[in-house]
Amino acid sequence: MDDMPGIITENSALIPGYHRLTVRLERPLGKVSPGQFVMLKVPDPEVFLRRPFSIYDARDRTVTVMYRVVGKGTDALSRARKKAPVMVLGPLGRGFSIPPAGACLVIAGGIGYAGVRMLLKRLGKRAALFLGITGKTELPLLSDLKGVEVLTATLDGSHGYHGNVVSLLKERFAPHRSQGPTIFACGPKGMIISLKEFLEPDKVPCQVSIEERMACGLGLCFGCIAETKDDTNPFKRVCKEGPVFDLWDLSL
Amino acid sequence: MGPLAVDILGKTLKNPVMNASGTLGYGIEIEPLWNIDILGAYVTKGLSEKPHHGNKTPRVWEERCGMINSIGLQNVGVEYFFSHYFPFFEEKKLPIIVNFFGFTEDEYVSCARKIPSHDLIVALEMNLSCPNIKKGGISFGKDAPAVHNIVRAVRDVTSVPLIAKLTPEVKNIVEIARAAHEGGADGLTLINTMPAAIIDTRTRSMPLKGGLSGPVLKPIALRAVYECYREIPIPIIGAGGIMDVEDALEFLMAGARAIEIGTATFVDPFTMPKVIAGLNSWLKENNYAGIPAITGIAHG
Ligand SMILES: Cc1cc2nc3c(=O)[nH]c(=O)nc-3n(C[C@H](O)[C@H](O)[C@H](O)COP(=O)(O)OP(=O)(O)OC[C@H]3O[C@@H](n4cnc5c(N)ncnc54)[C@H](O)[C@@H]3O)c2cc1C
Ligand SMILES: Cc1cc2nc3c(=O)[nH]c(=O)nc-3n(C[C@H](O)[C@H](O)[C@H](O)COP(=O)(O)O)c2cc1C
Ligand code: FES
Repeated sequence: MDDMPGIITENSALIPGYHRLTVRLERPLGKVSPGQFVMLKVPDPEVFLRRPFSIYDARDRTVTVMYRVVGKGTDALSRARKKAPVMVLGPLGRGFSIPPAGACLVIAGGIGYAGVRMLLKRLGKRAALFLGITGKTELPLLSDLKGVEVLTATLDGSHGYHGNVVSLLKERFAPHRSQGPTIFACGPKGMIISLKEFLEPDKVPCQVSIEERMACGLGLCFGCIAETKDDTNPFKRVCKEGPVFDLWDLSL
Repeated sequence: MGPLAVDILGKTLKNPVMNASGTLGYGIEIEPLWNIDILGAYVTKGLSEKPHHGNKTPRVWEERCGMINSIGLQNVGVEYFFSHYFPFFEEKKLPIIVNFFGFTEDEYVSCARKIPSHDLIVALEMNLSCPNIKKGGISFGKDAPAVHNIVRAVRDVTSVPLIAKLTPEVKNIVEIARAAHEGGADGLTLINTMPAAIIDTRTRSMPLKGGLSGPVLKPIALRAVYECYREIPIPIIGAGGIMDVEDALEFLMAGARAIEIGTATFVDPFTMPKVIAGLNSWLKENNYAGIPAITGIAHG
C-alpha cells in the first residue's frame, strides 16, 4: 500500500455519464487482489476529500478505474484532462477470496460491474457474469471483457432478459445449484437485499462488495461502518474489514 | 532529543506533532504507510468506560473546506484498549495521550479510574464536547461551572496529568479554559469540532448533523489558542484545520506547546511526517535553536 502521484493518461466517456480513467503512476501499485479499491484525489481544489473507486485493472505502473458521474466529485473528475496530476492511495481493503475450484457466478448491477471486472479477469472461464443494466445503451461498458460468459438483464427489455438481474439469476440458477457454486456480487443495496432473499434458503456461499461513504479509506476515522452479526464488535469498517464481506455475516 | 523536542506536562516529547483524537484509528492502521513512532505522541481514539457502537451511517460528509462527522464515539472501551492496543505502543516506547469521555459525570470518573498510570502516558485528554444525558444532552463543555465541576471530579480520582479538550461552541472560551484550570486541569487542547449540518438538495433532507473539522476551523482555533495563551498559565495543545507546516507554525507562534493533526490525514495520509520534516527545515532556515524559541512568539 502506498500513496502515489500519477498522471491521467485516459479519461474517456464510454457512454454518457460513464468514464474509464487510467493513471500512470510513479511506481507500480503492487499486488492487488480483485475487489480492492483506491482512494483518488480528484484534481480540483473544490473537492476536499478523496473518493473511493474499485480497481478495474492494474498492470505495471498503471491503474484503471471505471466510474459513473453521480455528484460533485465524479463530475469534477470527469472534466479532468489528460496529463492532469492525481494522487492514488491503494490498494485498500479486503478483496474477494477466490475458491480453489468450482463454478463462480458473478452478479453485477450497473456500475457494480467495475467492482467485479478484475475478479472476472482472474476467474476467466470459471465465471459466468450476470449483469443488470438499464438498457442496451450500457452494453459498451463491457467492450473490453473477453472470454467470460455474460447473461444480461435489462430493465427496459432492450437486450437479453427483461427485468432485474436477480430475477434472471432465479431463472437460470437451477443447473448451477448442484455444482456448489460460489456467488460474488457488487451492486446497489436493493440488488444485494433481493439476492440475499433468494439465496437465503440454501445459504449459498456468497461474497458481496458493499459501498459506504468514506473519508480516509484506511480504517482511521470509523466513518464507513457496516453492521454485521458479530456479537462483540458488530460495526465493521467497510474500508478495512471490507469492502468485500461474506453475505451471511452482514445484517442487511 | 533533537531540535524539535518539547517539554509538556513533565515529559519531553521528541517533537510537538500528534494526531487528533479519532483521526488515526487505534494507531496500528497507519503502519503500512509510515511508522507511528515518528510522532511526538499518539492521542487515542476517544475511550469510554464501556464500549460504544456509535451512530448509524452516513457518518461522514464533505464540505468545501472541511468535513462533518457523526461517528458517535464508537470505541472498544478503555479496558479493551489497554489489554489489546496499548502493548503496541509499549513495544514502540511511544508516549500516548489517552482521550476519554462519558455521557454522565460518573462515566467520566469511572473511565478515568480505569486508566493506569504508566511512564508512557503523558496525560488524559478529557473530551468535554460530549452531551450530558442527565442535562438534556447539552454538552459538558458549554458552561463554566459545569466544566469546573467535572474537571474537579476527574482530578480527584487520578494522579495522571489532565488536559481539558474544549468545544468552540461557547460564548467565551477563555472563561471556560479558566474554569478548567481552576478545576484542576494541567493543560488544554483547543479545539474540538464545531456543531454543523448538511442539507442534500437532491433528497431534500438533512442527511447528517455532526462536528465540523478541517481548514474551516483553523482561524477559530487560532484565536482560541492565542487568547487562552495570554490568560491561562497552563500548556496548550492546538488543533483545528492544520493541513501543512505553515498552519502548524501559526499555532506554535500563537502559543501552542504542541499541535494535533486530524482531518488533514484523510486528504493526505502523509501530512504528519511532512509537517515534522517541514518544522525541522523551517527552524534551520530561520536560525531558531528549537521549538520553544518560537512558542507564543506572535505575542511579541
Ligand atoms: C469501496 C468502494 C468502491 C467504489 N467503486 C466505485 C467504482 O468502481 N465506480 C464508481 O463509479 N463508483 C464507485 N464507488 C462509489 C463512488 O465512490 C461514489 O459514487 C463517489 O464517491 C461519489 O462522489 P461524488 O462526489 O460524485 O458524489 P456526491 O455528490 O458526494 O454524492 C452522490 C452519491 O454518491 C454517494 N457517495 C458519495 N461519496 C461517497 C463515498 N465516498 N463512498 C461511497 N458513496 C459515496 C452518496 O451517498 C450519493 O448517493 C465506490 C465506493 C466504494 C465505497
Ligand atoms: C472522524 C473524527 C473523529 C473524531 N473523534 C474524536 C474523539 O473521539 N474525541 C475527541 O476529543 N475529538 C474527536 N474528533 C475531533 C478531533 O480530534 C479534532 O479536535 C478536530 O477534528 C479538529 O481538528 P482537525 O481540523 O485537524 O480535524 C474527531 C474528529 C473527526 C474528524
Ligand atoms: S473511511 Fe475512514 S474508516 Fe473507513
